[in-house]
Amino acid sequence: MIFSYLAILGPLLAAAAVLALRRGAAPLALVGSFAGLAGASLALAHVAGGASRSAELPGLPGLPLRLVADPLGALLSLVVGAVGFLVMVYAVGYMEGEGSGARFYAGMSFFVAAMQALVLAGDWVLLLASWELIGFSSYLLIGFWFWRDGVPSSATRAFLYTRSADLGLYVAIFVLISRTGTSEISATLDVGSPAATVAGLLLLLAAAGKSAQTPLQGWLQDAMAGPTPVSALLHSATLVAAGAILMIRVSPLLPPGVRLAVGLLGALSAVACGLIAVSQRDLKRLLAASTSSQYGLMLLAVGAGSPVAALFHLVAHAAMKSSLFLASGVFQHARGSTAFTDLAGVGRERRLAFLGFVVAGLALAGVPPLSGFFSKDAMIAASFASPYAPVFGPLALAGALMSAVYVARAIRLLWHSTGAGSPVAGSGWMGAGLAALVALAAALGLAEGPIAGLIGQDIPRNLLVAGVGLALALGGLLLGWFVPAGRLLGPARGPAERGFRLGGGFDALAARPALALAGAADRFDRGIHRGVVGVGESALALARAARLADDAGIDRLIAALVRGTRGLGGRARRLQSGLVHRELVLATAGAALILAFLILGAFAP
Amino acid sequence: MAPLYVALLVGAVLFGVGLYGALSQTNLVMIMMGVEVMLGGAMVNLVAFWRFLHPETYSGQMFVLIVMTVMALEMAVGFGVGTGRFRAKGSVEMEEARDLKG
Repeated sequence: MIFSYLAILGPLLAAAAVLALRRGAAPLALVGSFAGLAGASLALAHVAGGASRSAELPGLPGLPLRLVADPLGALLSLVVGAVGFLVMVYAVGYMEGEGSGARFYAGMSFFVAAMQALVLAGDWVLLLASWELIGFSSYLLIGFWFWRDGVPSSATRAFLYTRSADLGLYVAIFVLISRTGTSEISATLDVGSPAATVAGLLLLLAAAGKSAQTPLQGWLQDAMAGPTPVSALLHSATLVAAGAILMIRVSPLLPPGVRLAVGLLGALSAVACGLIAVSQRDLKRLLAASTSSQYGLMLLAVGAGSPVAALFHLVAHAAMKSSLFLASGVFQHARGSTAFTDLAGVGRERRLAFLGFVVAGLALAGVPPLSGFFSKDAMIAASFASPYAPVFGPLALAGALMSAVYVARAIRLLWHSTGAGSPVAGSGWMGAGLAALVALAAALGLAEGPIAGLIGQDIPRNLLVAGVGLALALGGLLLGWFVPAGRLLGPARGPAERGFRLGGGFDALAARPALALAGAADRFDRGIHRGVVGVGESALALARAARLADDAGIDRLIAALVRGTRGLGGRARRLQSGLVHRELVLATAGAALILAFLILGAFAP
Repeated sequence: MAPLYVALLVGAVLFGVGLYGALSQTNLVMIMMGVEVMLGGAMVNLVAFWRFLHPETYSGQMFVLIVMTVMALEMAVGFGVGTGRFRAKGSVEMEEARDLKG
């Protein structure tokens, strides 16, 4: 188990050291990822007999961090470690002369560490945490050149797409934990049918978001804004692979209905993203669409009930796709762009890199004896062996045909020269990383037996299907080589080039309903607000009426009293004229009045 | 001897003349003269009633004597005020004297 710790802690400590020291970033990251690779290989050697080792680290109370090194986890850990190390070797050459080295190497190391934690997690909570961490670190890395136009929005887009699909993972985990009472992954896989169906569909949503499956494929094209080593890592062994890894891992959980949904979604993505890839005018965007398509084929294999075929292809694809990306990084360095118009004929200048690209590309297309032939053939055989063969089989063949077509198209566009560019000195580091990965991409077909033995399941084989697949691959290569994409796709080329965004995509499926929901919530909120304000205003009106009564009634009464008294006083004052005569007249009048009363009184009865 | 009504008539005439004088004159001295005449009319009445109705008692005479004393005092005070006013203002015209206006 100590070696699995090393697989996680090597890159993690390297990231911490790079951030702390701020110098010697490249050697530290190389040492860290090599330690991770070594730890992962030793761990795999220890569990090779089918044994499974687990360890519990103290985490939150009642929620220990559970690491499990079963054969599947250890194999994936080895893939992550190997690709991480080789991409890191390549990045040393690629990033020469770039600033912010510490940020780059710390991000890459952290990314690899988080991915190792994901594949080794034996506990839903730890898996969720590392799932979020790879999303976060991919955001940092895609936005590495954050001062360039459009890069921040691409990074944010990738982050938001994957995050919104992550909601499915959250709810699925809640469902599983509440049904079984434990967060241990292996213990939740035999949960009963209704919970398994719900959780399976939600996990499919999370996997579709991370693996860029059909309705959500748009972000992966934009994620090409990051440095090429980041793209290579992202597409082959980490972020995008996480979705497929999740589905492979939970495949014992899935009931037949969910398997059908997984397979259909994967098949749809394989064909739709294959069309997108054929139509692209940019090398890296073509590779991105091809990644979605390949992961669609893996989901198809999971849906067909053969996760081991998907795993085999995942391992082979990791080597092939990272080689393709690393080669395209070499071309990008040579021409300063990844658009096909700028890259025309670059293959003639950079012959070694081009050779690597061709080998990995032919492997992807499924040409024997390269690895892709075996892995793709296994997936096609699996889909023909499944209960849904009439649906899955033709779609799998169509996906395989697509991959041959776009690979041939990319090779043709890179080879056909329109002018001579100036050769640029290559870097030994880049060549070393690329060469190792290309060798893996070519030779991984030999790993079929060991992988099947490790997982303990047979990889499906069907000679007839293999022959058809090979014929389709060769036919696709010829089509892609001789027929331009415009004539091949006809009127479908425009929508395909835009990534079929009009026909659905994230904006229509999630953004608009979410905005409508937000609008409704806003209106509801405003209603409540109006109600509260109304209550307050009626209280104010009551207070105003009370004040009015106070003013008009009591105050006015008192004021009237005061005014009356004052008027009376004023009138009384006017009597006091000070004139003696007037006093005398008044006295006389008074006396006369008294006299009159007296006389009347005397005569009255 | 003349009958009672003649004496009463004289008294009434005196009172009326005095009242007219007191109200019509503006000089303080003249007003006081009017007041004296009015008091004189009242005294004539008192004496006449005493002489014709109760000649055997002396209370009527006593009453008249007291009134006469009060008249003398009133004269003294009134003329004192008039002298003071004349000294202060140079006139005893009552139309000008509005110092007691409220």
